[in-house]
Amino acid sequence: MSASASLTRRGFGLGVVAAGLAIGFRLDAPARAAGEVTPMLLANPKLDTWVRVTPDGRVSVTTGRVELGQGVLTAMRQIAAHELDIDPAALEVLSADTAASPNEGFTAGSMSVRYGGEALGMACADLRATLLRVAAEAWGSEPGRLTVEGGVIHGADGRRMTYGDAASRVSLVRPVDTGARRKDPTKAGPIGASLPRTDLPAKVFGQQVFIHDLRPEGMLFGAVARPPGYAARLISFDEAAARAMPGVVEVVRDGSFLGVLARREEQAREAASRIAEAATWENGPPLFGGAGVFDYMKGVPAEEKVLHRTAGEAQGAVRLHRAEYRRGFQAHASIGASCALAQWEGGKLTVWSHCQGPFPLRTDLARALRVEEGSIRVIHAQGSGCYGHNGADDVALDAALLARAAGGRPVRVQWTHEEEMAWEPWSSAMIVRMEAGIGGDGTPTSWSHDVRSFSHNTRPGQPGAGGCNLRSAWYLENPVAPPVSTDAPLPAGAAARNAVPIYAGIPNQRISSHFLPEAPIRTSALRTLGGYFNALCGDLFIEELAALAGKDPVSYRLANLTDPRLAEVLHRAVRLSGWTPEAVRLAPALEPVMTGTGLGLSRYKNTDCYVAVVARVEVDTRSGEVRPLALWAAVDAGRVVNPDGLRNQVEGGMVQSTSWTLMEEGHWNAHRIVSDNYADYPILEFPGLPRIESAIVDRPDQPPLGAGEGSQAPTGAAIANAVLAATGRRVPEIPLTPERVRAALLA
Amino acid sequence: MARLTVNGRGVEVDVDPSTPLIYVLRNDLALNGPKLGCGRAQCGACTVHLDGQAIRSCQLPLGEAEGRQVTTLEGLGTPERPHPLQEAFLAEQAAQCGYCTNGMIMQGAALIQDQPGITEAEVLEGMRGNLCRCGTQPRVVRAVMSAARKGA
Ligand code: FES
Ligand code: FES
Repeated sequence: MSASASLTRRGFGLGVVAAGLAIGFRLDAPARAAGEVTPMLLANPKLDTWVRVTPDGRVSVTTGRVELGQGVLTAMRQIAAHELDIDPAALEVLSADTAASPNEGFTAGSMSVRYGGEALGMACADLRATLLRVAAEAWGSEPGRLTVEGGVIHGADGRRMTYGDAASRVSLVRPVDTGARRKDPTKAGPIGASLPRTDLPAKVFGQQVFIHDLRPEGMLFGAVARPPGYAARLISFDEAAARAMPGVVEVVRDGSFLGVLARREEQAREAASRIAEAATWENGPPLFGGAGVFDYMKGVPAEEKVLHRTAGEAQGAVRLHRAEYRRGFQAHASIGASCALAQWEGGKLTVWSHCQGPFPLRTDLARALRVEEGSIRVIHAQGSGCYGHNGADDVALDAALLARAAGGRPVRVQWTHEEEMAWEPWSSAMIVRMEAGIGGDGTPTSWSHDVRSFSHNTRPGQPGAGGCNLRSAWYLENPVAPPVSTDAPLPAGAAARNAVPIYAGIPNQRISSHFLPEAPIRTSALRTLGGYFNALCGDLFIEELAALAGKDPVSYRLANLTDPRLAEVLHRAVRLSGWTPEAVRLAPALEPVMTGTGLGLSRYKNTDCYVAVVARVEVDTRSGEVRPLALWAAVDAGRVVNPDGLRNQVEGGMVQSTSWTLMEEGHWNAHRIVSDNYADYPILEFPGLPRIESAIVDRPDQPPLGAGEGSQAPTGAAIANAVLAATGRRVPEIPLTPERVRAALLA
Repeated sequence: MARLTVNGRGVEVDVDPSTPLIYVLRNDLALNGPKLGCGRAQCGACTVHLDGQAIRSCQLPLGEAEGRQVTTLEGLGTPERPHPLQEAFLAEQAAQCGYCTNGMIMQGAALIQDQPGITEAEVLEGMRGNLCRCGTQPRVVRAVMSAARKGA
């Protein structure tokens, strides 16, 4: 391949990799009432966008969803194979590509299968029905008398016709017929089977999988010379010295955006860091006006909204209980830093990206580069697990800006880990204030929850807004500023996700938010958005109310629950743990080491899976160290498609949440985040791992529910409540670092 | 010109000897197994074997690998002749995104070599320097223990 040759996804073997992908755990494919059409089909009505039969007879399906390690492509494979009566392994599954796939926006929020899977399933059902009609006509039979096995149509008299043969006799270039009959998802078939992930062999044997592994001929390596702070401007730099650095072939400056192209990756990195250090920058004012973040958040104007209310005034309260909980900034902290590959050819740009939304990324790339969207193609390729909006989109713009100076050669940019940590969007610091009235018998008579937060969604491609959410766009000579951030409404919500209590039996609820649209430290989506912290606060608060009432945390919760599925997971988790719940003793005398068991319960987004977690921890009261010993979880995600995949998600979330809850917090200097490596932003290591067990409450008769983000909040709540149970003292700030726990014990 | 043996084959590369080995393996020799993670010995994603010992290839200058045996994930086992730990990772489905998987397998394989009786506590300690952000550690431990018992 010549340096400027066109790079097709096949040329890199990516199509093959995508076809080989298969992960999966759940799906939503309930039979829909006629006339009810999933939004993904309204946006992408054409049948051949979703499913095609290749000239050699293979069935190829395309989803606009992207693989993030969460298993979505296996779910899609299972849905398609189920509808088509075909071996899942015989299918080709292609993922998002702005030139070839349906536009499904972002792959986020546990919604892929519910909407994208429903659309793909509908298209496949239509294809099957169409091909059966073709065969029936050819044989003078009725479609209802034909059967399909392994992609071959069989007539009652033994005649056979392959899908490929049938497809060659009919045009599939037309809108999807949304009236086609769906198969029963509870019938035995690929739906419900535990398919092993077909992407794992490639990962286990070191084959090409990631964008980081793409090495087209003639490729140059790019790196960005980052300013010393978020608000810094480039005053001057020594361009001649930069060009003379080893391996450097091009130096790019556009306003305060400064970067290099080099022959070797380590040369590009080294040059960028030396150039940044030698350049003259002018820093902006100190972050948060030099104040602490929580003081700052309380001091700046906020958009105040009441989001949810249940009728009535607090009645019969004999006292009030109030609490304020806080959590600092937390990072995605992916193991592999963000990476992209870009190439310009004759005014057209192609970008390979591991972002969560290739179409929205294309929108913002066009805004930043001031070109037509139609001149940009974004192709998804896998990256390191991102858990939300990390640097994946930003690095795509960096690669595109640098590739403009590469004379048609492809440019790969992989951020350094330090760069990722300092420049990716973080999950917002949050303050939650709660208040409840307590009746004479200890029952809650009112409940209020107010969340104060910066944005949890500054993703690219904000509809209608204009502006650009790709970082380097803000530093260009002709900058494109970010759009003003807004908060998403309930029930899903963003900052206020899961702020409405699951304890529906509590009267007089008032849920409100103080939204801060401008964040000195850039913030965006981290797995669950505000859901982790809001649900965690709700569950810490109910535990405190139970303790004040002298009741055990299980029966106190049960008395305020109205949804039997929440009660069921609660019972199951408690049984699994073997724990006998008892009332928490407040403020007992401290012993050197104290152990305790706590509970966490939540329903993700108030609309998706139900998860209960029991945690057992040991607290060293001399050092303040919290050691998680064991976690037990029960999950109800409706009908379970792939129990092993579901467990992988639930248990992975428990590990991640243990890390968030005990260890993770970003720090900054006057100008930028300085927690930019794993020593300064430690995450959970193997020796800190609790024993983990989970149970699935299978409900074959219930539609599947989103389950990829359900275990984080109840895990965090269970750990924090176990600390309360162990020590009889509340620690109101996450993470529960030794210093913080120690201070609470001495207070 | 540096001469070293990678996955049993002699190779020569014309690269500055101070270059961290990871860049040579990935970009010059087109090996995908070792991954570039933190680049500072904190995550383990770049782990390879040097004369049978697990080392961080982001820290080892090319010059120090001269004349020595480097084994990467590709050389540990293949789909046709998998290493027992690679088989165990597949049996346990011990990955999500898979970016840390190289390091987990290379570290784990060195750890359990001739240690069929290794305890879970020893595995946890031996894997301390390998991070996974997807939370697959419980599965990784199961895979390492099961491969050890089979005498990897
Ligand atoms: S990349 Fe070498 S230890 Fe992280
Ligand atoms: S599987 Fe994603 S980092 Fe370990």
